[in-house]
Amino acid sequence: MERFVELLIAAILLAGLYATMAYGLGLIYGVLRIVNLNHGGIIMAGAYAGWWMHSQLGIDPYLSLVPVAAAGFVLGMVIYLLLVKRLPRGAAGGVQSLLLLFGVWLVLRNVAYLMFSGNDQTLRTSYATRALDVHGVLISVNRLAVFGVALLILAFLHLLLTRTYLGKAIRAVAQNPDSCTLVGIPVERIYALTFGLGTALAAAAGLLGAALVPFSPSFGASELLKSFVVVVLGGLGSVAGTALAALILALVEVFAILVLPAYLTAAVGFVLLVLVLVLRPGGLFGQRVLG
Amino acid sequence: MPNYRPVLFLCALAVAACKQQSSPNGAGAPQAGGASTQAAAPSGNEILIGATLPLTGSESRTGGFYKEGYELAFEEANQKCGIDVGGKKMQVRLTLLDDTSAQATAASLADRLINSDKVQFLLGTYATNLVEAQSVVAEQNAIPYVNGGGAATAIYKRGYKWVFGLLAPVELLAESIMKWVDTEQQAGKLPKPATIALLWENTSHGKDFRKGVTEWADKTKNYKVVVDESFELAGKDFSALLGQVKAAKADLFLADAHLPDYITMQRQYVTAGLCNKVQSYGARGAEKQAAESLGKKNVEYILSAVWWSALLAEKNPEAKKFVDLFKAKYGGRSPEWYQALGYETARALFTAITQAGSTDREQVKQKLAALKIPSLLPGGELTFPAEFGQQTHAPFVVQQNLPDGTAPIVAPPDSATGKGTAPNPNCAK
Repeated sequence: MERFVELLIAAILLAGLYATMAYGLGLIYGVLRIVNLNHGGIIMAGAYAGWWMHSQLGIDPYLSLVPVAAAGFVLGMVIYLLLVKRLPRGAAGGVQSLLLLFGVWLVLRNVAYLMFSGNDQTLRTSYATRALDVHGVLISVNRLAVFGVALLILAFLHLLLTRTYLGKAIRAVAQNPDSCTLVGIPVERIYALTFGLGTALAAAAGLLGAALVPFSPSFGASELLKSFVVVVLGGLGSVAGTALAALILALVEVFAILVLPAYLTAAVGFVLLVLVLVLRPGGLFGQRVLG
Repeated sequence: MPNYRPVLFLCALAVAACKQQSSPNGAGAPQAGGASTQAAAPSGNEILIGATLPLTGSESRTGGFYKEGYELAFEEANQKCGIDVGGKKMQVRLTLLDDTSAQATAASLADRLINSDKVQFLLGTYATNLVEAQSVVAEQNAIPYVNGGGAATAIYKRGYKWVFGLLAPVELLAESIMKWVDTEQQAGKLPKPATIALLWENTSHGKDFRKGVTEWADKTKNYKVVVDESFELAGKDFSALLGQVKAAKADLFLADAHLPDYITMQRQYVTAGLCNKVQSYGARGAEKQAAESLGKKNVEYILSAVWWSALLAEKNPEAKKFVDLFKAKYGGRSPEWYQALGYETARALFTAITQAGSTDREQVKQKLAALKIPSLLPGGELTFPAEFGQQTHAPFVVQQNLPDGTAPIVAPPDSATGKGTAPNPNCAK
């Protein structure tokens, strides 16, 4: 029983990280219909930004979440206005956006190699190895904090999209951009803001990831793949679906160790992805418009 | 202020003497040591040696270390007016290219070095997967290829004749750790039989490590492997795996991991309240970065086995000579095993050329195959045994992190600079 509880807690905490990584990718796809391949690059950049603020300025990683996300937002807006905005919309633009954003990722990665070398870096805090003892089960403080932030981001996104004018405009643009133009919603501005928001979330995810694992300029590649699996499982464009899909993926990966060799557990998520694409192409929770 | 003029004058004389010997007809003298990325046909007074290293990309840090080792060896040789080839001094020139840590690039650049730049010999790159690809090109072109960056036995089991490796196989790494554990067990400090929780990365490195541990356990009958699991590289969460280790209550926790996975796993290991009588992450453990990332307290008593340590300088004259040379060139910085292997790789090739008395590839290959020289490696001797596919089988040095922050060599006994501790005293607290 104790083993079951430990695995369950491990899965729930891991789900927090997965969900945080996937929110930005899902949001940008849901509104702009663009698969942001630069998502991995921004995750890496967020990790380095947090590490730099911690090592140079002594700011705790969780306190630097807001400035890192703000910097990510500005960077996302700049990338959108300078590059993505110039792409044609529709199917042709889709292929071009993949190539363009992949190129931006490569540039970011090589800039990181030049600036920081290929050395692995870590964010070391005083609580990095501390644990809470809950009835004999030890829970990592760091992983608990990441889970808490993931819940806060989920609540923030839910409130933003359902209770604010901006959120409603984002959902409207996601549903039908042409009609939005007719009723006076500034579609291009909404696109830019959404791209900025998605990038900010990716940067925050990178910082949270860096609080748990070492990173280098190649950081972000496997995170992009995991994010993609989560977003597709949850149904493209569904924020709540993304969170639930992250939980399902983490549960499947963690509990798979009971029946499979450990090295295969990472592949279980991809098997799940293939099954969902074949049986429920719209995702486990169907396609929604950011509800 | 000290007067450096006599020293400068002597240096100028030495350089002039070298130039006269290497360029009797006034031809342009080669660069003294250092890496060159320019290709040029070799003159009759110099030997052109090609190499690639991962100077950018994911392995750039290690690639930079190997470059330092290569440069030191070339500089040392050229400061002595070159290497002796059949009674004639010949300068050695390195054509070094960046393979960007990519397997395909490493192979294609090796082909370029051989067929376009016309190098006479090749030194290897770093990391098993790159060496594996590059060595195929060397074998196809029948050019001596000496590398200090590929450890997997798979490279040397293909029956290649032109490939020589200075990194001992990873099975030996596991065996070196197990030998030390065995000594402690015989001394009654560890239970007999002892149980082992074995975690290994799902790579050729990890598989070789697992083979070394399990074969030792089978051979001695004094150990029982109770957890035997592999994991993918760059894991985000090892809690499920560590849960198995915890449930098994093993005496020994032996893992084989790269640095990032070592840090992530050890962080979760400590957080989960685990403590085994003996703990090791294979080649990882003594890194300063790990102690900084995890805290000195959290890496205490971890065992690691590496191909070389600067501490060998206390016992091995070749190692001392290298450490002194390295510190003199690099501002007092202490070398790691990467630079030592780079230096020794180049030195092995130079020695074989000198012994052959010729730059004929076939003759140099034969001399490499029969090479037996004093070495900075543990054991003090370098050979490329044919029975192991021309991969050296020098022992590993086993180190243990102590509470004072040092990591003395605890095995093998002839290289030991300190005494190891088992079981981990922290487990009793």
